[in-house]
Amino acid sequence: MKFSLNWLGEFVELPNHIAQLAELLTLAGVEVEGIENRGANLKDVVVAQITSSTPHPNADRLSVCAVEDGSGTPRQIVCGAKNYRVGDKVPLALPGAVLPNDFRIEASKLRGVESQGMLCSAKELGIAEDAAGLLILSPEAKIGAPLREIFPNDTILDVEITPNRADLLSHYGLAREIATLTRKTIRPLEIAEPSAIGGNAVQISAPNECPFYSARRIDDVTVGPSPDWLRRKLDAVGLRSVNNVVDATNFVMLELGQPLHAFDADKLTGGINVRLAQPNEKFLALDGRTYNLNPQNLLIADAQRGIALGGVMGGADTGVTSATRNVLLESAYFLPSSIRRTARELSLPSDASYRFERGVDPEMILRASVRATQLLVECAGGAATPETVVAGALPAPPAGFSLRYARCDRLLGATVLPAEADRILGGFGLQKLGGTDDQSTWKIPSYRSDLRREVDLIEEIVRVFGINQIRGSDRSCFTTTSAADRRYDSEKNLRQRLVARGFCEARTSALVSRGSVGEGFAEQAVELRNPLSEDHVALRPSLIPGLLGALERNLRTGAKSVRFFELGRAFLPPYGAEARHLVLLVSGRAESAADWRGDRARQLDLFDLKGALEALGLGPLRWERSENPNFALAAGIYSDSTLLGLAGQLSSAHASKAGATAPVFLAELNLPNELESALQPRSFQELQRFPVVTRDIALLAPETLTHAEILTALTSASEPLLTAVELFDLFSGKAAGNLGGARKSLAYTLTYQDKNRTLTHDEVNAAHDRIRERMRRELGVELRE
Amino acid sequence: MTHPLEELRDGALEEIAAAPNEQALETVRVHYLGRSGSISAWGERMKTLSKEERPVVGKLLNQARTAVSAAIEEAGEKLRAAQESGALTGLDISLPGTPNELGALHPLTQMLDRGIELFRRMGFALAEGPDIEDEWHCFDALNTAPDHPARNEADTFYLPDGRLLRTHTSTVQIRAMQAASPPIRVIAPGSAFRRDEIDATHSARFHQIEGLYVDEGVSVADLKGTLEFFLRELFGPGTAVRFRPHYFPFTEPSFEIDVKSKALKSGEKWIEVCGCGMVHPAVFEEVSRSRGDAAYDPEKWTGFAFGLGMDRLAMILFDIPDIRLFAQNDLRFLRQFA
Repeated sequence: MKFSLNWLGEFVELPNHIAQLAELLTLAGVEVEGIENRGANLKDVVVAQITSSTPHPNADRLSVCAVEDGSGTPRQIVCGAKNYRVGDKVPLALPGAVLPNDFRIEASKLRGVESQGMLCSAKELGIAEDAAGLLILSPEAKIGAPLREIFPNDTILDVEITPNRADLLSHYGLAREIATLTRKTIRPLEIAEPSAIGGNAVQISAPNECPFYSARRIDDVTVGPSPDWLRRKLDAVGLRSVNNVVDATNFVMLELGQPLHAFDADKLTGGINVRLAQPNEKFLALDGRTYNLNPQNLLIADAQRGIALGGVMGGADTGVTSATRNVLLESAYFLPSSIRRTARELSLPSDASYRFERGVDPEMILRASVRATQLLVECAGGAATPETVVAGALPAPPAGFSLRYARCDRLLGATVLPAEADRILGGFGLQKLGGTDDQSTWKIPSYRSDLRREVDLIEEIVRVFGINQIRGSDRSCFTTTSAADRRYDSEKNLRQRLVARGFCEARTSALVSRGSVGEGFAEQAVELRNPLSEDHVALRPSLIPGLLGALERNLRTGAKSVRFFELGRAFLPPYGAEARHLVLLVSGRAESAADWRGDRARQLDLFDLKGALEALGLGPLRWERSENPNFALAAGIYSDSTLLGLAGQLSSAHASKAGATAPVFLAELNLPNELESALQPRSFQELQRFPVVTRDIALLAPETLTHAEILTALTSASEPLLTAVELFDLFSGKAAGNLGGARKSLAYTLTYQDKNRTLTHDEVNAAHDRIRERMRRELGVELRE
Repeated sequence: MTHPLEELRDGALEEIAAAPNEQALETVRVHYLGRSGSISAWGERMKTLSKEERPVVGKLLNQARTAVSAAIEEAGEKLRAAQESGALTGLDISLPGTPNELGALHPLTQMLDRGIELFRRMGFALAEGPDIEDEWHCFDALNTAPDHPARNEADTFYLPDGRLLRTHTSTVQIRAMQAASPPIRVIAPGSAFRRDEIDATHSARFHQIEGLYVDEGVSVADLKGTLEFFLRELFGPGTAVRFRPHYFPFTEPSFEIDVKSKALKSGEKWIEVCGCGMVHPAVFEEVSRSRGDAAYDPEKWTGFAFGLGMDRLAMILFDIPDIRLFAQNDLRFLRQFA
């Protein structure tokens, strides 16, 4: 909320330096977010009266005005605004004036017509945001008077008021807070005691939603522009002046925090009835729109129809207009939750609802009515009825409660002397009802309904005592590892393994578009009821579409080698069960940069993906071919008999959609909840002391014979000396065309070793020969020498 | 008078010194020490010598062999060294090194890892909770009644069945207290979601580290000490840390924390990094109600809680200007943090 320093200064003596005040408030939890100077330099800007206005001969949108500036000599000004009438008084910047943003005014010719100065809008003068036209001054303004007499310098504070502090949503309220923090006295409000009477004129049919309602009649008013001082105050804090009646109610809201509403009394039929709306009852509001109501909405009605959405917005045809003669002034207390619901349902936030839904001060309701009546009569004339008609009962004042001084010290970890605590609470307007050395009982003022229990008093104390007075202490301690700790550690381990293999970690959005779900990586997804944009309508059931998006973006920016992984939550339909998924994606060149030594660049392939999965430390993984329409080649990945996920080569349709020219390889695993194998301590295996002997075996095999089958034949030979088998060469497919008819060539290195002695050549040769013979016999392969 | 063997030796040493390469050196070796070399020939000749001459010549022969062999060895090493260094003199050592093929952790992960490491140093264990939550865990249990001004439906993503995406990781406070009796000392890193228009500083999903410590006698001083330590470890010992009273429904008193450090781009400006406070007694009461016991009696236990915005911390620490960079996963961005 915006506060005028001049206005605050009417209630309390302010510190000399604004920065000091801002710091004081901020450190007490009332954060000052902005400080803005207004009306800083209005030298050479004076009040002028427009005496004539004629169209500009050379420009349709401009006019040529003659103005009287107090010098006795008429002045000719070219003007672009349309909102004035001849006879209006407006600000005139004389040649030589310097407006905000270093805008210098000179006498000049505009489209060939002499202009001796400029007529200004409020924005051009830096006194308000209104740039819509000239700032029309009140008729009482003295021609030739310097404008700074009407708009003295002011400083506007932009203050963040937290939702619990409804009492600070007014100048008087903030001044009260400043007085407490600076140990000054707040100037008491001089408002006459209201005289309230009951009567049939007001009836409350919804006492829960509206516990208290008051109305006062002011007759024979003259609706017109507000005096300059009033408009200035509203302008300063960003409110547009409407007319003297509406401005008076807004002024009181900004001053005292109580929103008021003025009805045109002649448009009302019969007395006021505060009731709930009928189902589908229509209401035409001030903003010109018709709202469809329900029985949860509170309506202020007369005998015939709704005249205001209580606490939210007035009606279109009962508001104050220039023709209004008699006014009915409403001041009431509405149930915060009811106001909140209605304002939210109808998307109708207003300055009034903002205050009502946070809770207004019950004791200010009638006083605000008195203050507004007095102001209204002052600005618009007329006469008020002596009494205010009231119905219902004000909400009970907050109950008093106790503060235990030791409890306060314990919670703060500091010592606050009881006298200091009492002084602070007293400063906030709390009244000590009694107490001992150990504790005290306090009566809470009506405007502090946020203070509900002991701990709230402790907060008030620390705000003023100053948290900087409390020394930070160390309470670190021993803590056992939790299941979440183990999960985090295992995930961290997975991440590090992948980074070591050249993978970059992606973190894609958990919210995805409907289209990315429909692509078939998951049949359906859990959708949001109230998404904000088409790109974020559902919770991702798979991490693959997100990673394909990342691939596409990177290919577009010229990436040649892509190795991505993402580890995150997927939300599985139909209920959104949360699963930890790991997705790997590889595509493009194997090396991120060219090798100047001339080795040929290799393309990443399925076995790069397979190697990366094997490096995760999840134990042995089994690949089983499967079918998946999104994949040109798909395989299920199994650990023992558990299906962990799938891997394969993306179909070219999907790949080209992502802009990939090289094949794209993907794996998505569902990580088990307990994933500790990689972190479990390993057992030492004795290092072999005797030398190894290696022999190679090269063979020609049919294309259909798999590596796995050859490996099984080799290792099932029960040769105790054979300790390792390694494939080191493979020719197949087109490259092996000269081998004759669908054959391939494979070469393996076999390693022989005994842990107790050095092997002789003869025994190695004998074992190797037996294996060769077995290969020939069992697999029918041709061995090459 | 010099013995012919000495002359042979001196001649050999001269030739060795003059040998231009290993091949010439080998020729010299064969000439003198080979099976029929001129020094070796004296071995045969020994048999023909008298008893008196033999020991004298034998000694000379040994000396000559040793001296010539040593010289050949030495000269050979020199020649090989010269050849090797000759071959490497021309190597252009300014050629590029083999590029780094290490991948990179996402900067947000690095930030979370760093945060977790620091809190673990102070004895916090990890806790978890789901992203899809119910209203009770997200609001009601956290002292935020349906009509509470802090509870804005427009800011929350809802599922059709009434569940929601948690708007803060504070939900894990409740889950941790439901699962275990005090004392409790946990942090919960995780995602949270807000229905914000996405711009340079707002993202629909963001990341937090939530913290909760409940024990007997936990005070504002403990809260202050813990977070001051964390922020100074993170931003450097010269970091100024300021606690500013604020309002959250689930803590009382509540604070926001600002930091200021010359080491940061933001320099002399206070920047807000954390919301925190003392657990509101109403939260303890609601947890006890749901547990059906009095485990969290607010008269006995007090606690502090905090929530750190990790996206924001990463942006400050790594000087990242736009939060949307995190979700774009541009490799040129990610590799900067390798």
